[in-house]
Amino acid sequence: MGAIRVEHLARIEGHGGITVELDGDAIRKVQFDIFEGARLLEGLVRGRRYEDISPIVSRVCAICSVAHALTSLRATEAAFGVEVSPQTSLLRDLMFLGQSIESHALHLFCLALPDYLDYPSVVALAAEKPGAAALGLRLKKLGNSIQEAIGGRAVHPVNAIPGGFGRLPTPEQLITLRQALRQGQTDGAAALDLMASLPPADFCHADTVFAALHSDSDYSYYRGDQVVVLAHGQRETVPASAYQRLTNERPAPHSHAKHSSYQGRPFMVGALARLAARREVLDSRAEDALKRLNLRLPSNNPMDNNRAQAVELVGDIERALALLERLLREGLRDERAVPVTPRAGTGTAVTEAPRGLLFHSYTYDDEGRIRSADVITPTALNAASIEEHFRCAVRQNAAPEQALLAKKLEMIARAYDPCVSCSVHLIRARDET
Amino acid sequence: MSRPRVGIFGLTGCAGDQLVILNCEDQLLEVVEALDIRDFLMASSANDTSCPLDVALVEGAVLSRRDEEALNRIRERSSLLVALGTCAVWGGVAAMDRQTDRAALLADIYGEQGAAYDTQPARALHEVVKVDLNISGCPIEKDQFLGAIAHLLNGDPPVFPEYPVCAECRMRENNCLLLEGDAVCCGPLTLAGCEARCPALRVACAGCRGPASDASVASVLAMFGERGVPREEIARKLRTFAPVNGG
Repeated sequence: MGAIRVEHLARIEGHGGITVELDGDAIRKVQFDIFEGARLLEGLVRGRRYEDISPIVSRVCAICSVAHALTSLRATEAAFGVEVSPQTSLLRDLMFLGQSIESHALHLFCLALPDYLDYPSVVALAAEKPGAAALGLRLKKLGNSIQEAIGGRAVHPVNAIPGGFGRLPTPEQLITLRQALRQGQTDGAAALDLMASLPPADFCHADTVFAALHSDSDYSYYRGDQVVVLAHGQRETVPASAYQRLTNERPAPHSHAKHSSYQGRPFMVGALARLAARREVLDSRAEDALKRLNLRLPSNNPMDNNRAQAVELVGDIERALALLERLLREGLRDERAVPVTPRAGTGTAVTEAPRGLLFHSYTYDDEGRIRSADVITPTALNAASIEEHFRCAVRQNAAPEQALLAKKLEMIARAYDPCVSCSVHLIRARDET
Repeated sequence: MSRPRVGIFGLTGCAGDQLVILNCEDQLLEVVEALDIRDFLMASSANDTSCPLDVALVEGAVLSRRDEEALNRIRERSSLLVALGTCAVWGGVAAMDRQTDRAALLADIYGEQGAAYDTQPARALHEVVKVDLNISGCPIEKDQFLGAIAHLLNGDPPVFPEYPVCAECRMRENNCLLLEGDAVCCGPLTLAGCEARCPALRVACAGCRGPASDASVASVLAMFGERGVPREEIARKLRTFAPVNGG
């Protein structure tokens, strides 16, 4: 009987591993192991006042802290019937773009790229290809400077509060960002060239179901209330308030895991899913990038999520620049956060974190204290799909040399850009037997 | 210290402090030049997991047997152990309201199988092993991290403020959210080092850097009392990032 075991998956966020057990040609077990400690934050926030919730839940994850902080605010505002101003909405959009630029640059250059070029890390890569490492770090910094200027801090933003912002950015800050984004356009193009030059990564093909936030006007990660599911050429929409139809977590028979499925099938969320679901609202530079990387949609190769992130990186820089031009042209209105009056009720919000769909749903009492909280993260949603693609890679790589297959499985897991800290809802103790 | 051997580790947490290290984009290549980084799982797939280390930088809190074993192994192989970030220094958000019935919470969130998980109430590193240096913050501040590295390379221990955020806030001449507004601001009791980032944005301090040792707790609590803020309200806020009175 053969086995593949990756004890501790490197170059991902958090603690995960891979276990495959084979019996001849038959696959006995395929697991994406999660051994992140259970922080129980959804339980600990119970009884807390509404203004404390976003800062607490942003700590679910550092790389997606903007997504957690802002999805939390939207859920709270929905529960209290608070409408934020169009300017607030635009600035929050911009924070999401900064997050996406930083997260995609970090993932592509520091976590994924070393595999393609056969280096153990971006540090080793920097020793021989300093230009590529410097390019990645510049793009990363660009994303962080947007998050800092609007959100007050790159990791765990502090400036976004219920109803709006503590303090608005100054025109000087916006002008500096515009300058950085213009440099970013050049860097984005260079990143595409680099991605286009990488050797192909093609280890498994599976008919994949995708889910993404629906948007009929632009490629916003922040706005929207409907989720699109793409399955076998069919397109269905599910309202955010009915998110449990999608997340529908069930214990998997072989382990402690709770896996998500849509009509009994695993689905993939993230950049590749977004491009497939929102092609018609892609802006022209991103569309060009898609062609430059020869990425066909929908793709049944999960490794294409890396190329999809590169396409988004280029599109994000364009959209961030367009939003800044608009803010500078129209001028920032000097407005305070809209007043928030708590009331009893439930609010649910859905957004696109860099890794895919993120749901927050809260029920409050009439004094604005949390009675129950539910957080569904993209990595939890992707877990079943990751295992599906592992299984498929094991099947499609007949009689493989195990070390090679292990590397392929690692690359598939990494392509999903998993964020294990985030998977608060997916706790699986590995079988220690 | 010439090119010290360094390990960078994460226990249970959000990886935000390791991310701050990677976010030092302008200094990163210089930092990795000055340090001999042997073990850094988040950034590298070639790690020496058993060599002796001059410095171990550890973020996250201890929430499982697995975390505890990992921390003990790190301690055994390291001359200097640095707790990185509020979770490592104080316990962080996972340690909030640590007296809560954990078994009930587990059952509530994860159902019947919750009881089988390898999980414990969150502990700060110093509750498990000896810690040589604390760099607090949720996340840590870049300047404090880079400053600490520079100090260690020069062989002298870094010195961090022990006074509260309030002092930095006054230096920046911010309007006081406590005196001029009705916010429950944790600035008078929270460890400085963030340049009063939040109050400068008109947002009340949430206490994310943990308690300041040099704070006049009694008079601050009395001041909140005079303003009609229930003691439990401020205590609960302060418990968000650091457990108090062992609870």
